[in-house]
Amino acid sequence: MTRHFRFSGTIVAAALLCVLPAAAFAQNNGGPRMDHENTLPPTPVGPTPRTADGHPDLTGLWNGLADNLLGVPNQMHNVGIEVGTDTARDIHSGAQIATWPLQSRTRQNNEQNERAATLLRRMGSNRPIYKPQYWQRVKDFDANSNEEDPSNNCMPAGVPRMGVPSYITQTPTYLIFIYPGQGGLIATATSYRMIPTDGRKHTNLEDLDGTWNGEAIGHWEGDTMVVDTIGFNSTSWFDQLGGYFHSENMHVIERLHRDGNTLTWTATVEDPDVLLEPWTTTPRVALLNPDPKAVLLESLPCSERDFAHVVTKEHH
Amino acid sequence: MRAIMIKVLAKRATVIAALLALAFQAAGGQSAKPTAAGPADDATKSNPSAVEKTLKAAAEAVGLARWSGVGGQHLPEVDVINTMEVWGSGTTYGPGQSNKTGEPWTAYKTEYHAALCYNPPAMRVEMTRTSSGPPAQGSAAPQHTIEVVRDKYAWDESEIGAGLVPGKGTATPAMAAVNNRLLQLWILPYGVIKAALAAGDKTKISTEKGATVITFPLSGQLADLMVKATLDAQNEISKVETRTDNPALTEMLTETEYSDYADHGEIATDVKSPGHIVRKQGGHPVLDIQVKMVDANNPYLVFPVPENVKKTAAH
Repeated sequence: MTRHFRFSGTIVAAALLCVLPAAAFAQNNGGPRMDHENTLPPTPVGPTPRTADGHPDLTGLWNGLADNLLGVPNQMHNVGIEVGTDTARDIHSGAQIATWPLQSRTRQNNEQNERAATLLRRMGSNRPIYKPQYWQRVKDFDANSNEEDPSNNCMPAGVPRMGVPSYITQTPTYLIFIYPGQGGLIATATSYRMIPTDGRKHTNLEDLDGTWNGEAIGHWEGDTMVVDTIGFNSTSWFDQLGGYFHSENMHVIERLHRDGNTLTWTATVEDPDVLLEPWTTTPRVALLNPDPKAVLLESLPCSERDFAHVVTKEHH
Repeated sequence: MRAIMIKVLAKRATVIAALLALAFQAAGGQSAKPTAAGPADDATKSNPSAVEKTLKAAAEAVGLARWSGVGGQHLPEVDVINTMEVWGSGTTYGPGQSNKTGEPWTAYKTEYHAALCYNPPAMRVEMTRTSSGPPAQGSAAPQHTIEVVRDKYAWDESEIGAGLVPGKGTATPAMAAVNNRLLQLWILPYGVIKAALAAGDKTKISTEKGATVITFPLSGQLADLMVKATLDAQNEISKVETRTDNPALTEMLTETEYSDYADHGEIATDVKSPGHIVRKQGGHPVLDIQVKMVDANNPYLVFPVPENVKKTAAH
């Protein structure tokens, strides 16, 4: 007998699993505690350390408003919604968004929480503009993301969807970025990138086998590290939400700028095959873990899911 | 036993709250004045807390004011509605196309599809209309129209997204239609709540025939329009009337009735949408649509303005 089950309870449990590693990270390592009373980025504190060659030193364990590990506030900030105590605005358009005080909220159950979370994650106006012949495909992917999301089933999230690296090592000739895999429902694999900064040029695109992370090369523009990546497969989506597929001609330019104990990351996606114009993510700001002894914790194992038995299209 | 006691106490609290609310409304009656959208038969309130409570109740009734416990336990409620898609069918009426004076306008069987966005303000209405009257009233060939507005631009598309890439249809500027198309966006229940909130202390609350009425001016390009929205017992917007402040244009009254609210989404969102929309302009019915499905999950909907439309607007 085929076993069917309501998925929403699983979704909530899985979402909690997503939150737990980050919480454990902060507690075990004396790392920064994120302020969940708003989605405002952290304010830089302290001087920006520099390496012997004079560039800002990006080395460190970066945590904060970077990816989706810390739930709705991060996800809202990632789509460009800045929420304060009693104000909210769309960073991209500048539009003010109505708010109601925390104290006046009505109680709600887990399903209501989850449905609201889905709306909150998706309300930003900063959306890539696809060519019109692809609008319906994006909508279909998005509506059916439980089945269609290519990073489900333990596949890599890819660049730039992985967002801000959780750990960076910087040498004069290369950078290493580490992205811990996410357990729970957003079941992506652990990933790393070794990014040369020695002045080399890209391989011809025709000679590259497309991959999730592509061929990345870094260079400094003033105090900003620019990571230029080509050579992708067309399997991944380029943002956490939205069904944003791309072609093998995708070109991603990431910018990382350190200011004191903060690291601001943006990515610009160029893909003339499917996009009408380049698209740039909302800037994401990560906070340096102040504990010099802190280490990256082991990622939760990734577990594949039986999506054939999902009985709802509700998002996660 | 304890559960029963709690229920009894809750009922009493509800009754007391209702009486307090009535007393509160009556207390505001001394300052009653007619609004631009029509005279109020009870208090017109400028009390900020009454306005805030009413708008919050209306926002929560349709699932617009939301918060989530998934990591957002300490965030305030926010307006979560940005994009939405609506599919329906029913009847639309061709203004000024009746054969004889005094007769209703020509009716068309209509398939209706609207994609809308509030940030930026934009709407794409696609209709396929077939004459439902005798052949003498018009051609039986279906008419397919796609009418778009975004901010200060309006255009008609030969196909969805026309005019953006070579060989993909044509976009015909329709700048004269900007205000009428924007109005369709702002008189939807969500638009009314957003615009009433944005109007700040210009928004007034009153009661008419026992129903709560919200009155406020629109802004920007629609600044000469007053909106009067009536709430039903569930705080859902049941009727919206708009008219200009210009007394010479009173025949331009637009009335829209909304009913049968429910979550009409294939993916549940807890966002309620009207299941039946009826609109009249100047007393003539112009639209009567039964909603079949709504995607309120902030779907991917974009409204890039074609270059030729921008150029036309610049001239």
